[in-house]
Amino acid sequence: MNYGKTNTRRSADKQGKENDPLGANSEIGRKLRQYYDDLIAEDIPDRFSDLLNQLERKNSADTAGNKD
Amino acid sequence: MSVYPGFRDDLLAAVPSLRAFAVSLSKNADRADDLVQEALVKAWDKQNSYQPGTNLKAWLFTILRNEFYSQMRKRKREVEDSDGAITGRLSVHPAQEGSVDLKDFRRALELLPEDQREAIILIGASGFSYEEAAEICDCAVGTIKSRVSRARARLQEILEISGENDFGPDAISTQITNSVFTA
Repeated sequence: MNYGKTNTRRSADKQGKENDPLGANSEIGRKLRQYYDDLIAEDIPDRFSDLLNQLERKNSADTAGNKD
Repeated sequence: MSVYPGFRDDLLAAVPSLRAFAVSLSKNADRADDLVQEALVKAWDKQNSYQPGTNLKAWLFTILRNEFYSQMRKRKREVEDSDGAITGRLSVHPAQEGSVDLKDFRRALELLPEDQREAIILIGASGFSYEEAAEICDCAVGTIKSRVSRARARLQEILEISGENDFGPDAISTQITNSVFTA
């Protein structure tokens, strides 16, 4: 017995999508992502890779010295 | 040695996201870079508490966020109540045909209280789930939901966006299969 429930599920899915408050249909959601993506796209200052290199060197020096 | 090979590279790869989050939190690019630097040092020092295979980005965001709030507590005098005090002075142009200039949007975002701003950024921009955001912010999922919803309502109010389905002329219409124009 099939009571033709397929439509019910379809409309529930659709409703869920449209209710996403920050989804593609949302002005706020779009601006938010645009704002954030612009920040992510910025050039990264060298200080961060320098810092990580420094930390890594310090770490291997500590291990090599094995002072503890 | 690092907690796993490539840990350093993974940290470096996370820097753009960390900076974006730090700018959103601190509203200041210089301060944001200091925050990212502190977070990287902390992450390095406590790398053994990171479990390889789990969400590194969420782990780093948690560290950065904790650093932000601990610095904020230290500089409490500098921190204004962002909710209300500045609103009166700020002139935001009304949205034109539902489209909001990005500068106006940024200023509106900066008017939100920290907890609402971070919640809407984590969910709406950084791509975290409500569960992950709750873990990062050390609060309940329901709290994140209500902060996001208040943030959204507040932004709409500040920017005078009349409805969530106001499509501007530049709306990504290809993504919208079901748009209905109600004049």
